[in-house]
Amino acid sequence: MELLVLLALLISVTATLAGSLSRSTKQTIQYMSLQAAAIGFVELMYVFINLVSGLHIEALVKFFAVFAEWFSAAAVSPLVIYWGMAKTEDFVDRPQMSAAGLAVFLAVLVLAHLGLEFLYSRYLPTQIEATFFISLMFTLSMFLMATRKDPFKILVGLNMAENALYPLLARSPINVMPFMLVLIVFVNVVAVFIVIEAYRDYQTLDLSRWRLTP
Amino acid sequence: MFSLLPLLTLIVPTFIAVLCLFTNPFWFLKPFFKRIEKESLMLGTGATLAIVLLMVPDVLAERTLETPILFLRLDQSNAAGMVAVAAIFLVVSVFNIHSEKGGRLSPSMYNFFVLLFEICMLGLLMAYDLFLILIFVELTIGVSIVLVAHAPIKLASESAFKYLILTAVSALFVLFAVLLVYILTGTSDITNIGREVNPLMESPRLMLLVVASFIIGLGADIGLVPFHGWAPDVFPASTPAVNGFFCAEPVAFILALYKLVYPFYAVYPSPIILGLMVGVGALSVLTGVVMAYSQTDSLRMMAYTSIEAFGQILLAFGLFTPLGFMAGQFYLVNGAFMKMGVLLSLGAVYHHTGTNDMEQLGGLVKVMRPVAVTYIFCALSVAGVPPLSGFFAKWLLYNTLNEVLLPYGLWASAAALIVLVSVSMVSGVYLVRSFQAIFLGPLGEKWKDVKDTPLALWLPAALVALLAVVLGLAPGLLLRLMGYP
Repeated sequence: MELLVLLALLISVTATLAGSLSRSTKQTIQYMSLQAAAIGFVELMYVFINLVSGLHIEALVKFFAVFAEWFSAAAVSPLVIYWGMAKTEDFVDRPQMSAAGLAVFLAVLVLAHLGLEFLYSRYLPTQIEATFFISLMFTLSMFLMATRKDPFKILVGLNMAENALYPLLARSPINVMPFMLVLIVFVNVVAVFIVIEAYRDYQTLDLSRWRLTP
Repeated sequence: MFSLLPLLTLIVPTFIAVLCLFTNPFWFLKPFFKRIEKESLMLGTGATLAIVLLMVPDVLAERTLETPILFLRLDQSNAAGMVAVAAIFLVVSVFNIHSEKGGRLSPSMYNFFVLLFEICMLGLLMAYDLFLILIFVELTIGVSIVLVAHAPIKLASESAFKYLILTAVSALFVLFAVLLVYILTGTSDITNIGREVNPLMESPRLMLLVVASFIIGLGADIGLVPFHGWAPDVFPASTPAVNGFFCAEPVAFILALYKLVYPFYAVYPSPIILGLMVGVGALSVLTGVVMAYSQTDSLRMMAYTSIEAFGQILLAFGLFTPLGFMAGQFYLVNGAFMKMGVLLSLGAVYHHTGTNDMEQLGGLVKVMRPVAVTYIFCALSVAGVPPLSGFFAKWLLYNTLNEVLLPYGLWASAAALIVLVSVSMVSGVYLVRSFQAIFLGPLGEKWKDVKDTPLALWLPAALVALLAVVLGLAPGLLLRLMGYP
């Protein structure tokens, strides 16, 4: 693995960890944006260098596709969630672990790393060598989703888990990317719409109080 | 054989959906659309069913219709599912005439999303490209969540959020598996995956990882145990018509799961793959039947009944035999229709009483006789009582298990029969008990003013009840549409 790629992945893991532990929704969204920006940066630089050195239409198309993917993950999705937060409230909470939450987290952690062990015991093709970092970021995102009562933080966790797959997603065919981006943004918009509607009904973002409120 | 009909099946509802959407931003078109909102939905679903039926003669002649440019294909492996999905949407859109009273979405947006949902189901059934399947899966998640949130009750937004998170996380597993397959094989065409030597085909462990990801990913969308957490909340939170439309979802998703897992099993026939499919199926059957028994909310009971049925279907598909595929398809299509019949009957009850709590209901047969009759027919078919179609579905399932288990001894086959009959008896008991709770006994004071049920509210379920009898007596009508891929 190249040093630059490793560095970008380490920054993304750190941002994911910080996001999963931060207290306010605003901070969590910022860390999500940083995670997406870092994880997509290397691929973006590669296609940019290809574009500058080659100056051909294929490189231009590839650059726009990668840029759109990077921009969507690092700016559009965070802004959609931020807009939802602005319409409701910046909920402050700490990671709370009930017995069930802890069980989910431990199960995901153990399964993810057993899975890795399982793969590494034979060999891992070079095309998917970033699997370890993907698994780590995915686990941290699951931790964020399992330990919070704020629906926006859960949504940020979902996006972080999706961003974790970026090293693989960047290799998908160019003609598929626009559809994928539209769908990711669509799901975020739908989720924010639902949370705002629920906030209107329940007057709180605390998930544990949603069903209890008459 | 090249044909544009598979593509047309998607284009026609898309066109009508976009026309509906077009009226949304223009205030002066809204009064006009209000007058034709129900009819436009019926036009969209009816035209789609007509195109699907146009393809049936070719399927009966064992021809494959293909639109290669968009990786769409119709043959005997998905034709019955296509007919079922298109028919379910048309029948429920008739029910929708009286049932839909408005919600969070405007009528034009509601029609748009219902038709988009139908497009996703049909697309999932016909697609044979991994990325196309992924796009339809993701789109289905977004659209179905919007439809759940449409219900104008508090519970809807909460359930929709839960549904979104569980299914969106599961979609990440599908995404992971699709990307892994594409990166390691260089192709996204399902039919080509196992044809050449590549890093994926050389590594059984990676193949197992891919298969497990597909089962987790699509299993959560279907509602299989242990990924079923959303189902018992979503059923009571959705409107009756949306519950009816949702009956089409497992048809598309379970066939898509089979389509995705089978190529790997064909290359690497591992008992682990078999164990994953059959294990999840068996767990769903047991959990579904045990949980359904204790429910007092009719829709929660139906949610667990559905989980039990999905488990039995996965048992049939998961054995990867030609008979298993036929049994699974028959059970899937018949189960979707019968579940729709029960849900539409319960929808008619909800329409009149405003409750799904069976403890509050009773004696409704006196004021809702057609609904009561259709309910009991569909419920008995779900339970597998002869001579209704559900019995034939369960009989096929037992034959599949018998074919696989008999080489291990007669006791294994007998044990399978005993378990299946026991499960059917328990489901029969709670379904008949629900009929007794809702329709029999003294009529409550609150329900004495209930008026006659409009035709549109009971006719769709009555057609399903008729189908239960017809398919029970002549199952060959449906079986002719099915074939092993």
